[in-house]
Amino acid sequence: MSAVDFASVNRKSILYGIIILVFAIFTIRLFQMQVLNHEMYDEKSAGNSIKPIEQIPLRGVFYDRNLNVLVDNIPAYTLRITPAYYDTSLNKVLDKVLGVNPGFVQSILKRNQIYSKYIPIRVRRGIDFSIVSWLEENSEFLPGVDYIVEMQRGYPYGVMGSHLFGYTKEISAQQLEKEKDYYKPGDYVGHNGIEKQYEKDLRGEKGFHYVLVDSRRREIGRYKDGEKDKESIKGKDLVLSIDGDVQKVAEEEMRGKKGAVVAIEPSTGEILALVSSPEYDLNQFSYITSKDFLEELYSDPDKPLFNRATMSLKPPGSTYKILAAIAALDMGVITPSTTIYCGGGFTFGRFFKCHGSHGAVNVVHAIEKSCNTFFYQLIYKIGLDKWKEYAMKFGFNQKTGIDIGEEAAGFIPDEAYYKKLYGENWPRSIMASLGIGQGEVSVTPLQLAKYVALIANDGKSFRPHIVKGYLDNKTGNIVPYEFEKINLNIKKEVFDIVKEGMFLVVQGAGTATHLRNPDYHISGKTGTAQNPHGKDHALFIGFAPSEKPTIAVVVVVENVGFGGTHAAPIAKKMMDAYLLKDKLKNKKTTEVQPVIAGAQIED
Amino acid sequence: MRIDYKISDKFDFKIFIPATLLVVIGLAAVYSATLNNPAAVNNFEKQLLATAVAYVVFFIAYSVPTNTFKLISIPAYLLSLLFLVVVLVIGRKISGAKSWLAFGPFGFQPSEFAKIGTILLLANFLSRLNNNIDSFKDILLALAIGFIPIGLILLEPDMGTSFIFISLILVILFWKGISLLGLFVVLSPGLVAISSLFGSVPFIVSLLIVLVALFFFKKDLFFSGSVFAINLAAGFFTDNLYNALSPHQQARIKSFIDPMSDPLGTGYNSIQAMVAVGSGGIFGKGYLQGNQTQLQYIPEQWTDFIYCAIGEEFGFIGAILVISLFLIIFLRLLNLASTTKDEFLSLVVIGILGVYFTHFLINVGMVIGILPIIGVPLSFVSYGGSSMVSNMFMLGIVMNIFRTRKNYA
Repeated sequence: MSAVDFASVNRKSILYGIIILVFAIFTIRLFQMQVLNHEMYDEKSAGNSIKPIEQIPLRGVFYDRNLNVLVDNIPAYTLRITPAYYDTSLNKVLDKVLGVNPGFVQSILKRNQIYSKYIPIRVRRGIDFSIVSWLEENSEFLPGVDYIVEMQRGYPYGVMGSHLFGYTKEISAQQLEKEKDYYKPGDYVGHNGIEKQYEKDLRGEKGFHYVLVDSRRREIGRYKDGEKDKESIKGKDLVLSIDGDVQKVAEEEMRGKKGAVVAIEPSTGEILALVSSPEYDLNQFSYITSKDFLEELYSDPDKPLFNRATMSLKPPGSTYKILAAIAALDMGVITPSTTIYCGGGFTFGRFFKCHGSHGAVNVVHAIEKSCNTFFYQLIYKIGLDKWKEYAMKFGFNQKTGIDIGEEAAGFIPDEAYYKKLYGENWPRSIMASLGIGQGEVSVTPLQLAKYVALIANDGKSFRPHIVKGYLDNKTGNIVPYEFEKINLNIKKEVFDIVKEGMFLVVQGAGTATHLRNPDYHISGKTGTAQNPHGKDHALFIGFAPSEKPTIAVVVVVENVGFGGTHAAPIAKKMMDAYLLKDKLKNKKTTEVQPVIAGAQIED
Repeated sequence: MRIDYKISDKFDFKIFIPATLLVVIGLAAVYSATLNNPAAVNNFEKQLLATAVAYVVFFIAYSVPTNTFKLISIPAYLLSLLFLVVVLVIGRKISGAKSWLAFGPFGFQPSEFAKIGTILLLANFLSRLNNNIDSFKDILLALAIGFIPIGLILLEPDMGTSFIFISLILVILFWKGISLLGLFVVLSPGLVAISSLFGSVPFIVSLLIVLVALFFFKKDLFFSGSVFAINLAAGFFTDNLYNALSPHQQARIKSFIDPMSDPLGTGYNSIQAMVAVGSGGIFGKGYLQGNQTQLQYIPEQWTDFIYCAIGEEFGFIGAILVISLFLIIFLRLLNLASTTKDEFLSLVVIGILGVYFTHFLINVGMVIGILPIIGVPLSFVSYGGSSMVSNMFMLGIVMNIFRTRKNYA
């Protein structure tokens, strides 16, 4: 291996080769990047510097039927943490400042670990202004902590509507997975009631502002002066069929009681009020719902989260007698003049007692007096399966399809059911109790509302619903939603007869004469559902004005006793609120309605 | 002596014009890259001033008698070392490296000028030897001349500039005519050192290769043993050196192995640089229209990543133009080095070519994503006063050598 001459031709060639080789490699590489793969890099470059900023639209508000605002949006401060910049040793300080249980902040952060640490996490909504100013003062010591102004739900009309409106909540991981085309982590979605059912109408459409950002993602201006921006579209403002005043009265009356109230407009199926009691405070859900609050709701023995109006199942008691009367009249097994003798009871295998001796009663007076004997016998004339057929016509044993989601179907027995249970020779005596709405009949308050609406409007109505339509903000007109029409095809005369009986319940010598008042006539029927676990449940169904009903009401109060005493007065107050609206407003007084007579004992 | 010589006989326009075009393109790119950055608002003016100074320096270097370079080689080298020591003591830290000496409003990077001192002394030393540097002692001495400044620069620490020095030493030794064995002795510790960075298995494999090579060179046991010991030491030394590196440099080495491993961290620059160049397309996005450049996607783009701005705003055409200008300069210098009869001057030219070429290779290579991110500027183009002045100084030297090339027989 001898030395090579200085500056040899060989070595020049090698250096020449290296230079040309590097030049060639660079040229090929540049050609590949700038000519062949240009589009890919171009796309990346565009995505790099133009950042879409999501514009969350205002959620649609809720109006009541008189266009009073029931639910709106109010600005509130939300504390956020961006984990990428956040120091977890601040957890304890924040827990203290927010006034939450130790470990709260940590648990929120943990729940959001699955998402990018550059996405800010909402830790708590609706924080006090004092916390905001504390954040401002100490911002330099709080890396990754900030606050934003966001809209949260407000309830300006003083209506709780917890089971009606529902609430919005940060989207769950499961729902996000299903609908990731639209939602992003941290988005709020309707979680219950109308908020959930009409989510797609209420949420509007997100917009995007395109901004130029530098490499540190700092915004440095609008992209093309906002030419490509897409403005968000506000959610639709829903017009509910609810009457804020009736709803408010119902909520006040039900406070401290357990049960449900539904008011409905018979001719349209529009729900005027819907209350399940106890309620819960929807304002609590405007914040990041604390676990404690949810646990409290879940563990409450009175089950406030349970929507009694659509979910609770009870025997309808005497309110169900109307159904048998209609069936018998429509089938022609009785005429208005058919009488049945009541001597204080009825024997079929065993003795079924009545709460009095009513003598020979026709159907009108049987309803007026709520005569058990009459209805014990009537169901045998109708037959069990026919009886169920009529129940089905009125919508029992099935969901009403109301537009707030969760709902129970209830249960109406038929022959097949008993045959299956007891065999071919099932004890026919069971039927007697069914005739007066006791035993294995279970219905929801909402089903009863539909039922009374159909009675009041002679068998014609619409599927019960809460949202009438939405307000077109340009024209100011209500764009109505369509709901299915119901026509039972039962003769008007049949309804006239039972309605006469219901009229007499209040206006005659019936079980709710204490509702009589000088302003309008009420028709109704009281009921008491037997409760094997405690005091009976009080029921009342009714409508007013009797001559041309515009409101029908169902009241169910649990564990209090007789329907006439406990349920009927609530219905009366709601009818007052609806029918005497102007009068009450003009007077601005709270006249005490004198109780004219005590409830009579029935059943 | 003829008086009416052609000016092109004394002044090599084929080097000067491409270099000046690069300077002009560089100024335009620096203007574009700093336009929207408040932190760099004065950089264009500073660069303009430095360029003016650099051309003055160029003409001085061009005009002085050619033997000056040999005369100043020892003092220039010693002065370089002195400044490299001083900068470690009182230097200012800029982006992690203590490489900057400030004199009032002015400042300079001693390592830029140490290149010149090192080239001159190394060329001087080697040209005194009689066509034979195979003696172990000579190689060691030559390496010492080169590695003392490298050691000082690594202490700053400035890895990129160290690479430039290693490269210029190798190119000069190669040009001098070092034997394959000599080259092996010089190169192998470096290769073993780099292998050791990738883990113990590559380290052991590289040591085995060294053993096999030593067997084929058939040298005596003492020589082979020494070389092997040096290689072994280099491997272990690298491990220590790696641990001594600042975290950002360690991260850079790691991110070269897999740049996508941390797209927001150290791999970020590499990705953004490629996006900038690639999105330029054939004709570019237009001057001052590159969003990657204008939106400051790449930190301090006007220095080491200036080629991105060119690639993005002037496209494939502009990018090819720039590397073509460099190609002309390189081939011209190679030609000059091989036609210059004086050995010292020839070695100086080849050393300067080595400096220009290594800057070009590392800088453009990293911007287009085929080399790791090592911070070295692109000669004539990148922002930086010291670099501009030293590059034009070296250009003055080679043009001076061209001017007097016919004086040596």
